[in-house]
Amino acid sequence: MRLSARSNRALGIRVAITGVALLCTLLHAAPAAAASLAISIQLADGKPLADAVITVQPVGRKLPAPAPIHAAMDQMNRMFVPEVLVVPVGSAVSFPNSDSVSHQIYSFSPAKRFQLPLYRGKPYAPVIFDHAGIVILGCNIHDWMIAYIDVTDAPFYGTTNAQGAWSAQLPAGHYQITVWHPRMREQTPTLVRELAIDSGDRATLTLQLTKPLRPAPMEGESY
Amino acid sequence: MRAATALLPLIASTLLAATAAHGADWELDLDLRAVSSDAKASVLDGGYGPTRFSERQSGLRLGRLRLALDTPLGELWKLHLDASAWDHSYRSSVGLTEAYLQFRPYPRNHLRLRLKAGGFYAPVSLENGAGGWASPYTLSYSALNSWLAEEVRTLGLEAKVDWLGTRSDLPFDVSAIAGVFGWNEMAGAALASGGFILDDRQTPLFDQVGRLGSPDARIEPFREIDGRAGYYGGLALEAPGRLVLTALHYDNRANPAAADALEQVFAWRTTFNSAAARLEYGTGWTVIAQWMGGLTRIAPGGTALVWPFDARYLLLSRRLGSRQRLSVRYDRFLVESRNSEPDGEQRGNAWTVAYMFDPGKGWSLTLEGLRVTSSSYIRGEELGRPGPVTDTQVQLAIRYALGSAGY
Repeated sequence: MRLSARSNRALGIRVAITGVALLCTLLHAAPAAAASLAISIQLADGKPLADAVITVQPVGRKLPAPAPIHAAMDQMNRMFVPEVLVVPVGSAVSFPNSDSVSHQIYSFSPAKRFQLPLYRGKPYAPVIFDHAGIVILGCNIHDWMIAYIDVTDAPFYGTTNAQGAWSAQLPAGHYQITVWHPRMREQTPTLVRELAIDSGDRATLTLQLTKPLRPAPMEGESY
Repeated sequence: MRAATALLPLIASTLLAATAAHGADWELDLDLRAVSSDAKASVLDGGYGPTRFSERQSGLRLGRLRLALDTPLGELWKLHLDASAWDHSYRSSVGLTEAYLQFRPYPRNHLRLRLKAGGFYAPVSLENGAGGWASPYTLSYSALNSWLAEEVRTLGLEAKVDWLGTRSDLPFDVSAIAGVFGWNEMAGAALASGGFILDDRQTPLFDQVGRLGSPDARIEPFREIDGRAGYYGGLALEAPGRLVLTALHYDNRANPAAADALEQVFAWRTTFNSAAARLEYGTGWTVIAQWMGGLTRIAPGGTALVWPFDARYLLLSRRLGSRQRLSVRYDRFLVESRNSEPDGEQRGNAWTVAYMFDPGKGWSLTLEGLRVTSSSYIRGEELGRPGPVTDTQVQLAIRYALGSAGY
């Protein structure tokens, strides 16, 4: 197993993410056909960062695009739940409203422009997200409500769990790993690392942010 | 207006019935106070005290009883009604502090338009961000926001255009706001006579406020005398959850020479500028600094009488876990007289300390201490105490809220 801070791009990236502590631990396991990658992300105070989006792209070769999925972006207590969702290109996302009050969803992000007229319950068909990019959602009734859908073409993707962890089985090779959370305050909002994983390796990547997240917008605090 | 307040329960029950059908938001809120005060009778009651409650009012009091409804009317309109009852009442025991229609088309190309028509607060305060224009930090509002609550309200139209940077990849939104209004030509009358006070009683639309040292007299801030519309215009920058910066210019454009001959009241020309900043940190700290400076004038018989005023505060607040908050605010305020007599002159400062505890299920508890030190020319003359007077008021508020938000 080699962990390489690739000189060409990574140098610039390193500059851009100055101050982010990066700890890489290599653990050797019994040989296997595939390798595994485990990522753990901590906030500046050591607590885990949940809902960070991880995308893993192969470098210098192509892997099959991930299969589209069905996902849900709920609305509870006048907040979008979850705040961040990652789905492959072509996925269908439903927008149930679990509140007793109506919501009215819109996005004018280039990756997907749409609106769902005033509704409660689950009256609409899921929305298909067919272009890669970040889609920012708002509610036209409750101006503080905001959520993000990262539509990705990366073959490996996910969000960190409550423990700040995410892991995947993947073929050996050279990968670019991207970590993103909309309220991260590092010098670049996206953290990118490259690493090469040999067959049978278990790579563990631990990232600790240097700054606390921006607070989530709260109901009624808008000007 | 009396008819409107009499109809309020009917309107409220109709809208409550409509809640299930249309997804209206509603909130019913009861706020009871245990009060200990050493202040003279409040200016609100025609006395001289700069606090809401006086020594005589120490004991159990009604802080506020509030019913608010926010109901969609079709796809792009909504109606907001905010009715409250206070223990100080003049015309009616229940009144509407805000009532407006809002038009809210879908944002397009990063621009969001909001139009309001009716009666509502001009966007000056960065302190009164809770429902019903209450403060999430303290019970008593700062001096300048207490004055707005007392006699400044927009009865007219407001347009706000937001450029939504946060819906692209920028961390902030920028807003431009403009309002046109009438029926606020007595705004300034209570300030020039009674000075600033620190309280949380909001004058209902078309209701009255007390006059310093005149228990039987009233001021009606919401009157139109000369038929000229007033306006305000402002700018704001907001990074949600982190930073808000605002600036606003207000001018009610009343003709100070105009008077209602029948009722012997003058139009008060009131102009002010305000600027404010609110900073929030992920660690739970909030800092608000707000300033307002302006003047109010009348010209009875062509003789101009002018009172400049200036008020500012700094508020520090810290969330302690998810259920507690501790806040401290320092206020300074000043009313001057440019006239031959110093009537209306006042200067002072105030410290407010509040601890809030939210045990959940709709309940909340707030303990607040307020200490106001002020000199008022008229009070000094009338009470024979020309120097600064310190008034102290301690309140424990027990609040219970019910509503569609599922408290």
